[in-house]
Amino acid sequence: MSPHLATLFDEAEHRYLKPEELKQMSQYVGSLPERIVIYRTLRNRELEVMQAVTHQLQLALPQAGQVELERSLRQALLMLRHCAMAMLLNDETIIQEYVSWVGPTARIFNTLSLDILLCRLLNQQLAQLFSSQQLAYLTPLLQLAQQAFSAAPLPPANH
Amino acid sequence: MISVADLLTHNRVPGNYFAFETYVRGDLELGLLENRQGERLLALPATLIQAIYAGLEKETGQASRLVLFNCGKWWGKCFYTRFCEQLAGYYNTSVAAMSMADFLQALQQCWRCHGWGRLELDQTYQASGFLVVNIWNSPYARLAPAGHHPVCHLEAGVLASFFSSLAGRELYCLQTTCESMGADCNRFILGLPHRLEPAETMVTNLNHDAILQQLCPASAP
Repeated sequence: MSPHLATLFDEAEHRYLKPEELKQMSQYVGSLPERIVIYRTLRNRELEVMQAVTHQLQLALPQAGQVELERSLRQALLMLRHCAMAMLLNDETIIQEYVSWVGPTARIFNTLSLDILLCRLLNQQLAQLFSSQQLAYLTPLLQLAQQAFSAAPLPPANH
Repeated sequence: MISVADLLTHNRVPGNYFAFETYVRGDLELGLLENRQGERLLALPATLIQAIYAGLEKETGQASRLVLFNCGKWWGKCFYTRFCEQLAGYYNTSVAAMSMADFLQALQQCWRCHGWGRLELDQTYQASGFLVVNIWNSPYARLAPAGHHPVCHLEAGVLASFFSSLAGRELYCLQTTCESMGADCNRFILGLPHRLEPAETMVTNLNHDAILQQLCPASAP
């Protein structure tokens, strides 16, 4: 659950929730069935989606080395799992932690262009898998996670 | 073609072992802190760190820096062993088989996760046999009494011991700038003792860059 919503539970002994806080809680609870559907789809079809991405990636970059490809694909799997969990719990901090860890690695191994293409192919696959309404839950988190592979400086780490 | 299923290890994709949210776990009832393997973590109150500085200064005077450095060396030796065990267990591979970049990134994450600040390595002088380590937001510098000398002797000992274990050779560590003296970060130089120890006296009258120029004039940027 998002840290903001989680802190509401700490207020129990002090006060009742304000109308806007109840509304936020209600919106999250109302969105949970859809979030669970998206999460379950990602869980069940992870390999299928990523295998399709892998196929397209190898066609697009026939000269890319096996080691680099495997490293980037592992990171993409990890990104997808983090996004799935962040979407389910509505918690962006999961992604921020991921970005602060993966970003420097992509720079060290100089796989940014490979990672950017991989992200684009992954986004295309997900667009085929989900409705636009479902993508609205997932896309902002994917975009946040994919900051790790942008040329811009990474956001500062929390700790 | 690459099989994605083969990239998974027991359906797992190892990520950041030292992610704070998953690494540090607390048991409120018992009042214990543990890491994700169930090993005990020790939280050091600021008062205790300040008391260690004050107590050592009173008991041992100028030798306190040597006491802290040697404590750090012992700590660093154990830390290296635990760190390698944790990485090997989590990534299901020997540390020797890991890339140096992955290893060092894990070290940075580990350092940060334990609340010791942000650590970065500067390999500019690697060809000359020196490694520079920069640390920001060190609690050991923040809580130390302000003075005219760098005070992170404990961290210097940890770094010396950790990188000695990693390199398989005895290394020395010299701190050249310190947050307790108003510097932007704590800078440490690692190198062979016989090459680095003569620079110990330079810390009082030369800045970090000037010390490195003295140590390796040919490769200074």
